[in-house]
Amino acid sequence: MLSLISNSFRSDASTRLESDHRMPASESEIDVSDLSIVFDGAHGQVIAVDRVSFTARRGEFVCLLGPSGCGKSTLLNAIAGFEQPYAGTILVSGKRITGPGPDRGMVFQQPHLFPWKSVRSNIAHGPRMNGKTRAEARAIADDLIAMVGLSRFANAYPHTLSGGMQQRVSIARALANQPRVLLMDEPFGALDAQTRAIMQDSLLKLWSRISATIIFVTHDIDEAILLADRVLVMSAGPGRILSDITVGLPRPRTLELTLDTRFLALKRECFALIKEQSARAFDAAESRS
Amino acid sequence: MARKKRLNFLVSLASVPLFLGLWELVSRAQIVNPVLFPSPSVVLAALQDWIASGDFTLDLISSVARVSAGFIIGSVHGIAMGILTGRSAFFSALVGPVFQILRPIPPIAFVPIVILWFGLSETGKLFLIVWGVFFTVWLATHLGVQKVDDGLIRAARMLGTPRRRLLYEVIFLGALPFIFVGLRTAVSISFYTLVAAELAGAFSGIFYRIEVAQQNMQTGRVMAGLMVLGLISFLADRGFASLSQRLVWWR
Repeated sequence: MLSLISNSFRSDASTRLESDHRMPASESEIDVSDLSIVFDGAHGQVIAVDRVSFTARRGEFVCLLGPSGCGKSTLLNAIAGFEQPYAGTILVSGKRITGPGPDRGMVFQQPHLFPWKSVRSNIAHGPRMNGKTRAEARAIADDLIAMVGLSRFANAYPHTLSGGMQQRVSIARALANQPRVLLMDEPFGALDAQTRAIMQDSLLKLWSRISATIIFVTHDIDEAILLADRVLVMSAGPGRILSDITVGLPRPRTLELTLDTRFLALKRECFALIKEQSARAFDAAESRS
Repeated sequence: MARKKRLNFLVSLASVPLFLGLWELVSRAQIVNPVLFPSPSVVLAALQDWIASGDFTLDLISSVARVSAGFIIGSVHGIAMGILTGRSAFFSALVGPVFQILRPIPPIAFVPIVILWFGLSETGKLFLIVWGVFFTVWLATHLGVQKVDDGLIRAARMLGTPRRRLLYEVIFLGALPFIFVGLRTAVSISFYTLVAAELAGAFSGIFYRIEVAQQNMQTGRVMAGLMVLGLISFLADRGFASLSQRLVWWR
């Protein structure tokens, strides 16, 4: 039922500007099949991700939504190439992932900027490491700096910037290799509410200008619905995908959308799923201790 | 508050002259034997005498050359080994325990065996200073490398940094604040060890001259030698501190 509604939204919004480059969106950019990830914990092996399968089409914005400890970050790290699958496969652009690479940019929860490099050099680092000349890397960096609105701070050093500005630099840095996929691990989780709203808005604007597929991890229901084309709701450990919700709200989206009845209906649906999972996760943690 | 600060600054300026004045007074008052405890003015005269004889320049150059060569060789190897053991659990397990046993042996304890091994040559002196510097720099680098923020390493790998470049771009620069703490400690250690090195037999050098002066009962020159040792190691330490502030300014 829900997918029917969202499909009608989709056709309503077919003229929306920002997704023109994504219209032939049938090709799958990310293909995760039967992925399991197992950790060696203090009390034996722990299944962090349990037989997860999903695909993301080229240019799609997918949010992984779930309570903390549900394995959503682990799943993202596996796509990034930082975690090895216990079973199953991950294909990005048809190629199997064996380790991190410049085709997948990542924005972490913390900015993790190189403190000894200026904003420009931080962003130019990726292109420099991938064979671009100093001048080329600088030009790429300056374009991105303008795009994230930090032109005045090109020569500044990370410690002189606010948290929100640092995270902008981190996003620009992740985009500097022109990755096909942008992986974002709760990138706005450490920011205050106002800054977060501004960052969400500018991320959507930025995304409309680049042709990257985004996988965005969050535990914030509003954030997930506001940003995503699709929300994958995950269960508490072991991580499974409970529900694949197509958002289908028109773009461009603004914060006012969070008061829309369609938004609230989606939120209610996510909330019911998350509430149950959070309670389960809490009980599981209690019984363990 | 500001007034108090300014007063304390003025007091700090008066510190050395007051000390010298008190010393001069004690010595002149003949409370102690002035031959064994010469006054600052006598020490100054002895220093002028030492400089005039031409020995001073040679002694200074010999000592500074020994310290610098030993410091550089010891630090380079200490940093390289620290990066190796900091990054590789295998190498750390292989050499760590041996280094931890050798590290606490005071370099001066090696003087007898160094004389047997190297005679009175410069190699033996270099060996002692390198020994003193190496372990300090190794340990600081090892700890620094292990403390490099894992997030930075992941960010660099995500951006496609080749493994070899990662070593300099992230590991070395990330550990640099720790390495500099180790290097600064090693500056003082290299001066302590210089004394041991020149004790092992030398033909020039500040501490060598102190020994000779002692045998000739030239207490003024002995004291002048001590002052010079103190001054150059103080200058080296200060110079190094300001250098490290400039090079690892992000800390």
